[in-house]
Amino acid sequence: MPEKVLTINKLSKSFGALPVLKEISLEVEKGEVVGIIGPSGSGKSTLLRCATMLETMDSGTLTYGDLTVCLEGCYADKPVLRAARNRFGLVFQNFNLFPHYSVLKNITDAPLCVQKRDRDEVMQLAHSLLAKMGLSGRENAYPCQLSGGQQQRVSIVRALMMKPEILFFDEPTSALDPELTGEILKVIRQLAEEDMTMVIVTHEINFAHDVADRIIFMADGLIVEEGLAHDLVNAPSNDRTRAFLSNIMK
Amino acid sequence: MDYQIMLTELLKGLLVSVEIFVLTLVFSLPLGLIIALGRMSGNCIIRNIFRVYISIMRGTPLMLQLLVCFFGPYYIFNVHLSSEYRFIAVILAFSLNYAAYFAEIYRGGIESIAVGQYEAARVLGYSQGQTFFKIIMPQVVKRIIPAITNEVITLVKDTSLAFSLSVLEMFTIAKQISSAHTTMIPFVVAGVFYYIFNFVVAFGMGRLEKRLNYYR
Ligand SMILES: Nc1ncnc2c1ncn2[C@@H]1O[C@H](COP(=O)(O)OP(=O)(O)O)[C@@H](O)[C@H]1O
Ligand SMILES: [Mg+2]
Repeated sequence: MPEKVLTINKLSKSFGALPVLKEISLEVEKGEVVGIIGPSGSGKSTLLRCATMLETMDSGTLTYGDLTVCLEGCYADKPVLRAARNRFGLVFQNFNLFPHYSVLKNITDAPLCVQKRDRDEVMQLAHSLLAKMGLSGRENAYPCQLSGGQQQRVSIVRALMMKPEILFFDEPTSALDPELTGEILKVIRQLAEEDMTMVIVTHEINFAHDVADRIIFMADGLIVEEGLAHDLVNAPSNDRTRAFLSNIMK
Repeated sequence: MDYQIMLTELLKGLLVSVEIFVLTLVFSLPLGLIIALGRMSGNCIIRNIFRVYISIMRGTPLMLQLLVCFFGPYYIFNVHLSSEYRFIAVILAFSLNYAAYFAEIYRGGIESIAVGQYEAARVLGYSQGQTFFKIIMPQVVKRIIPAITNEVITLVKDTSLAFSLSVLEMFTIAKQISSAHTTMIPFVVAGVFYYIFNFVVAFGMGRLEKRLNYYR
């Protein structure tokens, strides 16, 4: 049986009186790449924010492997939450790099000061990941000295440095100039080839089609349709999915 | 009038002014941070206590606060305090007053940091303390330096208010010499000294601001 990295069961979330997520269920297996698409305001970011514990869910269950973060709306104790935080990484739309830290410090500080890993190991991994992302030689630069594409690549490295089992991306190219999105998509493709488990919210349908195994279409806080990437993009069965796709591919 | 003696006396006074200045900063800068955190507390009672504190400290004259700090213990608790208490009262009043101003500057700085910084830190597993001291505060310091510089320059001039408790700082001494010899010169000299003092302070703060300019 394939190993489940993430299991979400009947997750609901409201902001005040506004229901944003309605009994969302989602399972992600090891090595799987899941794309999430859907119109703005459909709750995609909120879903990722609940999964990464930036937002608390109202009800439902959230599990990372053997760690149950939230069981039917009841959150586990702090040590469990801390352990679960170690399992995932999140890449933000607008990078959120630490501006006062150099590239090297941005990516090594948490492994050293939070995970308390061995310095040599961390430095070695940092240099090899930077090289892989085409950022060699930028170790001592500050985020403000980098292009948006470079900043996003640093933030991907920062997430990878924590050795997550699953990596979430929330519209990783939306804050970038169109000519810079390619370099980010290339990096994510590369990660997919290395069997990194990923959940990617994106508006790049072609990219989602190529890189994702499975695509989920969300609207109004619901999963309207989900299926194999190829099927969902080429032969959507739901009217809303069809409308959304034809709109976005125009 | 012996100018040599006048200069020596004024320089002695300047030393006391510098002492008030340094000690006030040493106490009010950290205290201001604590007050800022109280002012931003999630608990509405704590938040309001600090709000009122800041409002009173900023809404009443520093000279009045000096007098309250000096005479308060005597009139309220009937304690007799030694003459050294004069100086302590000055430091106390200045620190309590400046901490309120610094608190509002810190608060503005802290609230200006994008929430994404907290979220990135949280996802990376930083504790709240680590997030505050490693990620947030260094960025806050950079942003508030210009506002802090303003307050610090005001503080240099405000040290002269200690004359209301007859502490022998530069302004008090200038006034004494001036009335003893009916001359303006001590005031002019004191003015020059205050100006140089502030020039040095502004220069130092400017250097600090430049040093933090390595990022945006
Ligand atoms: N912190 C918040 N407070 C109140 N409403 C929110 C908050 N965050 C998101 N929302 C609302 O929740 C809905 C879903 O938002 P979001 O998850 O950001 O959608 P998406 O990422 O799919 O565009 C929107 O209607 C949005 O206005
Ligand atoms: Mg979003």
